[in-house]
Amino acid sequence: MLTGVFSYLVFFCCIVLVLGILTLGLNLQWGFTGLFNAGIVGFYAIGAYTHAILTAAPQPQYLGNLGLPWIVGIAAAMAATALAAWVIGLLTIRLRGDYLAIATFGIAVSIQLVALNWEPLTGGSQGLSRIPKPLSGVFDTPLSFNLWFLCLLAVLVAAIYFALERILRSPWGRVLKAIREDETAAVALGKSARRFRLEAFVLGSTLMGLAGALYVSFIGFVSPFDFLPILTFQVWAMLIAGGSGNNRGALLGALVVWAIWSASGVAVTKLVPPSHAAQGAAVQVILIGLLLIFVLLYRPHGLLGEAAVVSRHAAD
Amino acid sequence: MHRLIRVAMALGSGLLICGEVAAQGAACPVKIGGVLPLTGSMAPITKKIAQAAELAIEHVNQGGGVKGCPVQFVLRDDQGQPTVGVDAAKYLVEVERVPAFTGTISSGITGPIISSVTAPSKVVQITCCSTASPFTLDGRSAGYFFRTIPTSKTQAYATASETTKRGLKKTAVIYVNTDFGTDMLRFYKAALAKLGGEIAVEVPYNDNQPSYRAEVSKALAAKPESLLLIGFPKDAVTIVREWLSLGGPRAIALNNSMRTMDFVNGVGAKFVEDFFGMDNAQVAGPHVDAFNKSFEEKFKADSKGPGVHTQYDALMVMALAMNIAKDLTGPSIKDAVRLVHVPNGAPVGTGPGEFKKALELIKAGKPIKYFGATGPIEFDANGDVTGPALVWKVKDGQIVTDRTITIEEMQALFRRIEN
Repeated sequence: MLTGVFSYLVFFCCIVLVLGILTLGLNLQWGFTGLFNAGIVGFYAIGAYTHAILTAAPQPQYLGNLGLPWIVGIAAAMAATALAAWVIGLLTIRLRGDYLAIATFGIAVSIQLVALNWEPLTGGSQGLSRIPKPLSGVFDTPLSFNLWFLCLLAVLVAAIYFALERILRSPWGRVLKAIREDETAAVALGKSARRFRLEAFVLGSTLMGLAGALYVSFIGFVSPFDFLPILTFQVWAMLIAGGSGNNRGALLGALVVWAIWSASGVAVTKLVPPSHAAQGAAVQVILIGLLLIFVLLYRPHGLLGEAAVVSRHAAD
Repeated sequence: MHRLIRVAMALGSGLLICGEVAAQGAACPVKIGGVLPLTGSMAPITKKIAQAAELAIEHVNQGGGVKGCPVQFVLRDDQGQPTVGVDAAKYLVEVERVPAFTGTISSGITGPIISSVTAPSKVVQITCCSTASPFTLDGRSAGYFFRTIPTSKTQAYATASETTKRGLKKTAVIYVNTDFGTDMLRFYKAALAKLGGEIAVEVPYNDNQPSYRAEVSKALAAKPESLLLIGFPKDAVTIVREWLSLGGPRAIALNNSMRTMDFVNGVGAKFVEDFFGMDNAQVAGPHVDAFNKSFEEKFKADSKGPGVHTQYDALMVMALAMNIAKDLTGPSIKDAVRLVHVPNGAPVGTGPGEFKKALELIKAGKPIKYFGATGPIEFDANGDVTGPALVWKVKDGQIVTDRTITIEEMQALFRRIEN
């Protein structure tokens, strides 16, 4: 029935919106502030595990699993990620470009290893299960729950989008752009580049932590396996393909890149017989790469480039 | 540009709906889904597992299919990433409307699939290879998840029994730091506590590293007299070579994944003669031989390797259960899975001829007892199977079975350790 397609699309869109929040966070850090954060998956993990530890059903062998309400888990995930980002930001604030990338990448890998090894708290390699899904008692069929969660995510993403657009058109946002474009000039005008960069880093990472908490409360299970570096690179692909420096581009990029990932898998099952499934799967990976390259060849600044902002005094 | 996006979206929805309309036409063919890591770090093992799946579907179709319809196998790649695997499983269940599916190998991907697709949508999932014990023991799958592979418990208990039998003392344990490795270690320690034996040191390792000198040195620092290595062939070769080159003792015990010529040749056949390993036993018998023979005939390669026999059985059990079930809904198939092996049933084995025989018995309302490529398949209340184990070793460059531990011996061992 077509309800099957609809049900799948609802699920698909939920994943896209979670990835979209990650991309919006990265857009704030890279698109607007020029911070090369290659440790996205680390902040995603902190948010996810904080939420899981606080909300999962209690079990004797785990320290956490406090069974607290969903909203507490979400709020705590954002707070924990903000705190971690603040500490990491302070440590890495002087690093530029590639050096910041390596540092954040290493930190993300370390976070994943902590999650893998700190068994009494995080469940170690077995992960944590029975993480409650919000209002799953009220919406007890998969379709109704996924629809409700999609609405919840849509409202959240809309709120985040409008809030980001507001902030970025404010004086604070203009300073960020100034720092990104010409830091010396901005500093010469008396702006503390350090402070603004740290604020953007923390705010962007908090969004990533929120995405982690939402993902975990949607799936109901978390393990260190969810936080491997491949996700960092997927989110980067989403931002670059969608258009860095443009919030709508970030969301569009998340949709397009995840759709490429998913549709290529579907295409392979339709076009390749099961006896050659392994070869088909390898071709799928090649196809994903080719499509990403094609997008960038066709639109080098991303699907929706950054809107040029010119001072209204330019004509004077 | 917007036009391009519109075209792309139209193409995408077209693909989805095409699949839908095609499926809507008639009840045939019946689709069975599969999610396996066809690419990624597990890909070398998955190749043969996917071939075993293909062979099973071929035998099912030659033997009469499901409810009179041919079976179409829809196999998706999970790329070793949970999000991709969950997306693939959801697609199979919702868009392809598979009444049941098999998958996957890595427990980090099977876990989210169970909690976000299998249990909520009430679709039967049978895995060939995911051994993490909590999946069946903590009720999260609502009874819809089964596996044709014994959990690490069987292997770990058998390993403990064998190491104590051989008098291995002061054992260093080097284990892969995943749910598989930590599960095995936990059960091994529990067994040793009852059987007597001493672990000198436990050293976890992360997979896919170029060198394990640090881990091996740490293990050797405890002056062990033997080594238990739990992991996968590629990294195991590196570890064993570094262990031997640093002068480590040659009394080495291995787990099932090392039972492949890749490992033997990687280390060097002449170095491995003192090693021994465990595996879940494919009970020797006509049904196992029939499977091995048909696999070798079709794919021109031997059927040895992790997951090959269990994947074949997973799909045969699924197809038999779908025929026994009164309709192709999740709850009916779930209840039918245990009817695949009834104590007083007529024995049916592997291969298309036996499947045809089973269908005739099912049609006549008679109970069956399936003997698969891994021996008798009987699911316990949780959806797990127990089975015999075997001890293997390398002799003259070939992997041979040293001895088999029968089901009765395993059951006695379980009783001894758990009481």
